[in-house]
Amino acid sequence: MNQGSTDIRLLLVVGIAAMLMLFISLLLIFIFTQRKKLQFQNELQAMQNAQKNQLIEAAVRSEEIERHRIAEELHDEVGAILGASSLHFNSVRIEDPDESNQSIYQKGKDLLDEGINKIRGLSHSLHSNILQEFGLNEALSHFCGKISHESVVEISVTLDPSYPTQVGQNDISIYRIVQELINNINKHAKATKIFVRSIYLNKTLMITLTHNGKGLTQSHFEELRFKKDGLGLKNIQNRIILLKADLKFSHHAGGYAIDISVPVD
Amino acid sequence: MFKVFQIVIDWSEVWALLIPISLLLFRKQPALLKPVVFYVCIALFINLAIDLTWKIRTILPAKYNSNNYLYNLHSIIRFFLFSTFFIRLKQPFLTTIKKIIPFCFLAFVIINFCFYENFFDYWKLSSRLLSVEAILLLFYTLQYYLFKINDSPEVNIFNSDFWIVTGLGIYVTINFFIFLLYNELTIRMEHFAISLWNAHNISYVIFNLFIAKGFYESREH
Repeated sequence: MNQGSTDIRLLLVVGIAAMLMLFISLLLIFIFTQRKKLQFQNELQAMQNAQKNQLIEAAVRSEEIERHRIAEELHDEVGAILGASSLHFNSVRIEDPDESNQSIYQKGKDLLDEGINKIRGLSHSLHSNILQEFGLNEALSHFCGKISHESVVEISVTLDPSYPTQVGQNDISIYRIVQELINNINKHAKATKIFVRSIYLNKTLMITLTHNGKGLTQSHFEELRFKKDGLGLKNIQNRIILLKADLKFSHHAGGYAIDISVPVD
Repeated sequence: MFKVFQIVIDWSEVWALLIPISLLLFRKQPALLKPVVFYVCIALFINLAIDLTWKIRTILPAKYNSNNYLYNLHSIIRFFLFSTFFIRLKQPFLTTIKKIIPFCFLAFVIINFCFYENFFDYWKLSSRLLSVEAILLLFYTLQYYLFKINDSPEVNIFNSDFWIVTGLGIYVTINFFIFLLYNELTIRMEHFAISLWNAHNISYVIFNLFIAKGFYESREH
C-alpha cells in the first residue's frame, strides 16, 4: 500500500513538473520568437524608411542641380542671345518712319525687353544667387519684395536676424518651400495680405506664413498632396521629410496660417 | 496563523474570481472576451455554492450536502465558454478541429454520465471529466501559441488574449495530473488529496490573476 501511495505521489509530482516545464518552455519559445520577428520587422521598416528618405534626397538634389543648369542656360545662352538681339534692334535706324512702322518697331522693342526681363526673372527664380551669396533671410526678403505689389498682394516680412547667413544644404529646401507656398497662396488663395515671420530658437527655425485669403486646413492638405495635380504640395512634403521638419496648416479667426518648424544642426 | 491561511485558501475559489470581476466594473470588455466575462460571473456563483455546501454540510440534509456535482457542472461550463473564446479568436489554424471538439466533448459527457459515471455522485467528483476537460483546454492553449509563433508578430505581444490563454495554460498544466489521479488519491490517501486541493486552489488564484490582467489590457473603457 505504502509503495502504491509513494508511486502515485511520485507520478503526480513528476507529471506536474514535466507538464509545467514543457508549458514554460513553449511559452519562452513563443515570447522569444515573437520578439525576434518584431525586431526584424522594425529593422526592415527602418531600412525602408531610410531608403525612401535617400530617394527623396536624391530627387530633391537632382531637381536643384537641374534648376541650376536650366537657370545658367537661360541666363548665359538665351539671355545673352536676347541681349544681343536687343542691341542690334536698338541700332536699327529707320529714316522717316511712318506711324505704322514706328508703332511696330516700338512694339518689337517692348516685346524684346519684356522677354529679356522674363528670362532674367525665370533664371533667378530657378536658382537664387542671393541665397548663395547673402543667405536665407536676404533671399526670402528679396523674393517677397519682388512678388509684393501694393494693388495686388502686400507681403510683410519679419525675419529673425540671429539665423546664420552661412548657407547650408537645408537653406535651399527651406527657400523652395516658402517660395512654393507663397506662389500657391497667390495662385489659389487670392490673398491680399501675406505675413512672413521667422524665429530662430534652440537650434530650430520656425517660419510662419499667415494670409487673409482662402487657405488650406491640415486635413485638406493631406488629401491634396496625394493627388497627381497637387505636385507642388508633394514636393513641399518631400522637402519637409528631407529636412525632418514639421508642417502644419491651420485656420483661425484672422485667416489661415502655415507653420514650418525646421531643426537646424 | 495556519488556520487563517487555510481558511483563505479554502475560500480562494470564490475570492479569486472577485479579482477579474472587480475590473469589469471599470472596463467594458470587447466582444472577443465576452465568453471569459460570462465564465467569471457564472463561476463565482457555482464556486460560492461549492464552498458554502462544503462549509455547511453538517447542517444541510444528506441529499444536498455533496458539492461534487457542482465541480462537474463548473468543468462543463468552463470548457464550453473557453472553447467559444478560442473559436472567436478566429485564428486560421485547425479551425475545423477546434469547432468539432466541443461536440465531441458533449458526446463524451452524455455517454460518460449515461453509462459509466453518475453526474450527481455523492462521494466523488468526476476525475475523468475534469482531466478530459483539462487536456482539451491544453490543446486549445498549445495551438494558440503554435499559430502565433508562425504568424506575423503584433506590435504588442502581451495583449489581453495572451494573458488569458497563458493563465488557462498554467491552470490546466498544473491540474491535469491532479484531476487525473484525484479519485485514486481520495481512496488511498485522503489527507494528501485534501492538501493537494490547496495546490489546485493556488493555481486557480494564479489563473484569475492572469484573467484580470487580460481584462486590464483590453483597450475599451
